[in-house]
Amino acid sequence: MRRTPWIGLALLLLLGLVPKYTSAEQMWSVEGAGDITSISAIEDGRVAIGSHGSKAVVFDQDGREQFGKEANNVVNAVDLLEDGLLLVASDDRHLYAYDGSGKTLWDIDMKRQVKSVSASDDGSVIAVTVQRNNDLLFINKENGEQSGSVPIGTSMKTAKVSGNGQWIVAATADQFLHLLDKDGKELRKFGAGGQIQSVALSDDGDTIVGTSDGKIELYDSDGKRLRSFGVRTTVSAVVFSRDGKNIGAADLAGNFYIFDRGGKELWETKDGQAGRAVEFSPDGKTLYAGTDDGRILKLDVSSVVAKAKSEARTRILLWALGVVVVAAVVLLILRSMKKRGKLGVFRDIWRAKWIYLALAPSFALIFAFLYFPAFSGLFHSLYKWQPGGKTTFIGLDNFKRMVHDPYVTKGLGNLVILIVTGLIKSIIPPLIVAELVYHLRSKKLQYGFRTAFTASMVIPGVAGLLIWQNFYDPNLGLFNNFLQLIGLGSWAHGWLGDPKTALWALIFIGFPFVGILQLLVFYAGLLSIPGELIESARMDGASLPRIIRSIHLPLLSGQFKFLIILGLIGIIQDFNGILIVTAGGPMDSTYVPALQMYYAATKFNDLGYASALGVSMFAVILVITVINLKLIKSAEE
Amino acid sequence: MHILKSINVRQLVIVLLLALLVFLTLVPILFMVVSSLKSNAQIIGNFWGLPSPARWSNYGEALRTIWRYLVNTVVYAVAGSVCVMALSSLTGYIFAKKTFPGKDFLFLMMLAIMMIPGVLTLIPSYVLYKNIGLTDTPWVIIVSCAAGGQIFGTFLCRTFMSGLPSELFEAARIDGATEARVFLRIVVPLSLPILATLFIMQSVGVYNDYIWPLLTIQDSHMQVISVGLTIFTKQFGVTDKGTQFAAYAISSLPLLLIFSFGMKYYIQGMTQGALKL
Repeated sequence: MRRTPWIGLALLLLLGLVPKYTSAEQMWSVEGAGDITSISAIEDGRVAIGSHGSKAVVFDQDGREQFGKEANNVVNAVDLLEDGLLLVASDDRHLYAYDGSGKTLWDIDMKRQVKSVSASDDGSVIAVTVQRNNDLLFINKENGEQSGSVPIGTSMKTAKVSGNGQWIVAATADQFLHLLDKDGKELRKFGAGGQIQSVALSDDGDTIVGTSDGKIELYDSDGKRLRSFGVRTTVSAVVFSRDGKNIGAADLAGNFYIFDRGGKELWETKDGQAGRAVEFSPDGKTLYAGTDDGRILKLDVSSVVAKAKSEARTRILLWALGVVVVAAVVLLILRSMKKRGKLGVFRDIWRAKWIYLALAPSFALIFAFLYFPAFSGLFHSLYKWQPGGKTTFIGLDNFKRMVHDPYVTKGLGNLVILIVTGLIKSIIPPLIVAELVYHLRSKKLQYGFRTAFTASMVIPGVAGLLIWQNFYDPNLGLFNNFLQLIGLGSWAHGWLGDPKTALWALIFIGFPFVGILQLLVFYAGLLSIPGELIESARMDGASLPRIIRSIHLPLLSGQFKFLIILGLIGIIQDFNGILIVTAGGPMDSTYVPALQMYYAATKFNDLGYASALGVSMFAVILVITVINLKLIKSAEE
Repeated sequence: MHILKSINVRQLVIVLLLALLVFLTLVPILFMVVSSLKSNAQIIGNFWGLPSPARWSNYGEALRTIWRYLVNTVVYAVAGSVCVMALSSLTGYIFAKKTFPGKDFLFLMMLAIMMIPGVLTLIPSYVLYKNIGLTDTPWVIIVSCAAGGQIFGTFLCRTFMSGLPSELFEAARIDGATEARVFLRIVVPLSLPILATLFIMQSVGVYNDYIWPLLTIQDSHMQVISVGLTIFTKQFGVTDKGTQFAAYAISSLPLLLIFSFGMKYYIQGMTQGALKL
């Protein structure tokens, strides 16, 4: 039996329900390189890399270092041309060119930090962007002289030239893409869906953009967006395969991906803390992936893609098998039902078809908008949840994080205080008022007072909270003015501004705490106590306190239980008042877990963590409900 | 004299105690009404006094800034509550009077929803509505009201309708009335009291809702009154306390109407809900 969980896990893996990682096939590393900023590969298998650690290195097809060059600052980009010419752009304000053996061909001082260099395969078009210059510069391959420039109008993040030199794209800091032809004539300008981190260009003029909010967008040469799909976090690099069919990408969480043009993920892997650069070999068979610790992974694309494909096939087979098994089971059940002559149930179902149709709207809403979110919450509490992007399975990390979240632990302490005081508030004052009203002789007065207490409903909840917030105002508030009026001006206080008093000020909201629901429940409970019971007790000489203690309170036990459960469930979930009046402050003094959940979702967009908090509170509430049901059962027995 | 004698000391004490508690309970309302007619200077200089002269212009200014929120919310509340009434009366009737395969199972599915607290579904619901593009539209309020409110509504209607005499429906059916006619012409008219209760409970619920619209509606033109009250100071630069209080007072008017004309149903809903659940 020990093996069962493993078999189960293997099945889940095969069904693709649990994500998995494949590791790299081969790897080189560059000492002291830091981030790999750029990779460039050419037909004969040579690869050039540029690194944050000021190094530019060329490897031959066997991964041996052919030559390495050291700049005086960060190497921002390298580009290796078909003839072996290496272009290096560096923050030391120089643009360098080396020939295939590492001999310096030219070295131009650009006066400003050179942010990117990109060239067509033959070097006929070389486009360069430099810091604080709104022009795209063209460089002559032979001598490094500037051969022309195109004004773009805003500062650029990067620019790319397609391999055949027909297209040039410049990405600006204000999220626009400028598509130029090979002569530098601007063809089109279009906006991307987010902060542009990286662009790539195919020979057909298709552009892909990686944005800081984890989206990869594919545009055609008319600037029309064809596709947009997500990865886990900020995209640090995107690249087209030479034939424009596949897209490689890296994100800052260390994930590397291969997508097809349709946005379908073919393969992914994770290595290192952050991915920095990706490049396809010209034949499209190898993907070079650069990490933030100076390593370059050499990944055999065809085999990993083939593997992913075969796994997908297995998956489809398994699903098909599952469907067949389910169908067989259904058939078997039907056969056995027929044998026992129970097929009449289908006739009944058919006869009741209008009933089902009438129930359909109700249940459609129930499933879509109540059950679905509930299960979605349970499910996503185990994920790093990014709607529209990539959702990653992280096991119990969200729950572990909760335990170490100081806001949650502080919030739990506050919640205990709120629960204790809240239950007292919701039981004792309404009970006293119900008793007082009940003991009025005049029916008219009873009705009048009941109505008067109900009248507090006319203020919308939020307006009531805002009025109370105003009561606590240090200068214009009712409390401090009242204290001054009765000569206790020295006690005046910024009640909500002081971490010591803020929580208690919140608790005091609603004084004298005569809740309408609670009052009505107790009052109805008292009215339902048979009059004879009290008459006979009175004849036996029982005093009023005695009657309350021995008759009223025991007979109201159902009401107590109901209000306590309702109160508990309500208080755990409620953060309305806190959100409006103090927003959790000052500092963390009025946090509760539900508020932290709300903030996790709205302020930090951390939906998985918010779901995990919701699930934890749900678990607590479930336990309370179950205990309550058990108690009711035992009371009935 | 006779009446005075019959009210003994104990009764007097109870009345006085209750009167004090009512006063304390209603202090926010009184304070709101008085302050809504003051200017900032009057609030600072004459905190405890009545407004003199009364600044009725506060109300005009407040109305100008919040009328849209007010209208939005009333429309959402009515639309949502009507949906709830329609769904609950139909579903409640079927569960009360019909037999069909799977009835117990389906009813259990409804019952089970009561175990799911709002705190679990809040964030996933938000994502769901956002993904299907309902955020920033009235539907995000109306649909969520209809989906959530019908559970409570179905229970109320089911209990109430099981009490209606089945013979009545039988007689109508023998007279040739279709099922739809029986429902619309007999069941619904007889259930009007419980439907009124449902309508009032749901409307008050939507009217007071704060977190859900805050989360799902960003567009100020679509916003509801609860959120509107918290943002209108920032939005319109209203720094006059008097105007703020006037806005709170105006926002109380729909509830005041419900309280005046439907209190009976409201109280019924509160107590019945408590007993049924």
